[in-house]
Amino acid sequence: MIATIRQMLRCHWSARRIQRYLDADPVARLAPAELRRLEEHLARCERCTAVVEEHRLLSRLLGGWTEFRAPDPRAVARLRATVDSLVADAL
Amino acid sequence: MQDSTDPQQQARAERFRRFVEPEIEVLLRVARTLTGSGVDAEDLVQETLIRAYRATDKFDGRHPRAWLLTILRNTNSNMHRRKRPDLVADWEVVGGHRPAFGARPPTATDDAALHAELDAGLRRAVDALDPRFRAVLLLVDVDQLSYADTAQALGIPVGTVMSRLHRARNRVRTALRVRPATRSDR
Repeated sequence: MIATIRQMLRCHWSARRIQRYLDADPVARLAPAELRRLEEHLARCERCTAVVEEHRLLSRLLGGWTEFRAPDPRAVARLRATVDSLVADAL
Repeated sequence: MQDSTDPQQQARAERFRRFVEPEIEVLLRVARTLTGSGVDAEDLVQETLIRAYRATDKFDGRHPRAWLLTILRNTNSNMHRRKRPDLVADWEVVGGHRPAFGARPPTATDDAALHAELDAGLRRAVDALDPRFRAVLLLVDVDQLSYADTAQALGIPVGTVMSRLHRARNRVRTALRVRPATRSDR
């Protein structure tokens, strides 16, 4: 019983850090001790490892949208022309 | 013969170009996520560039992207006062497009049908999100913005970006999780 509760607490602790772990965003990096603890937990916990894999799949799927949502090159060209025009007007 | 070009004006123009040109595509991506429309996005970025040019002298040169995203957000807020600035107004941005996996050819190990189904499920799950959560998810995971830049674009604290992102991803992930079971039931 106690072992189960401990495991649940470890999973809960890990679940709150998995996204920061995967993103490694500069403003929200895990501390070295957190990183070590999380990786040790992932090495032992199949359920949390599965959550990590689901997040990786989601990231790949959403990453697939990046390319087809790329801005229209004609819009980019028109906006570059706007920059040229603003600069030219100043000179 | 006297040169009519003011050196200060010239320096300002060069600074402006240096700050802005590398960020045009990012601004367009973010503007599209904020407005939900390619046409509105272009108008928004154009107005942002004009305002940024006027404000170039006040900018210290650090973090041009964050500076431009703040101007973009304020401009969007002014242009669409009736809309909440952190909402994606129109979800045709993704919903009306071809499947994401049409963007690249399947590899030898890809299962194109599974990918197409997953992508359709993903669109439904993202569509079902609260627009505030959807905006954060799109800005970080599709437009590839950092947490800090997303916070600038939406005018919310980084902590709020993280909590919305956490909830959005978990909801989408949970929605996708049931799909393999659905397939095997056929």
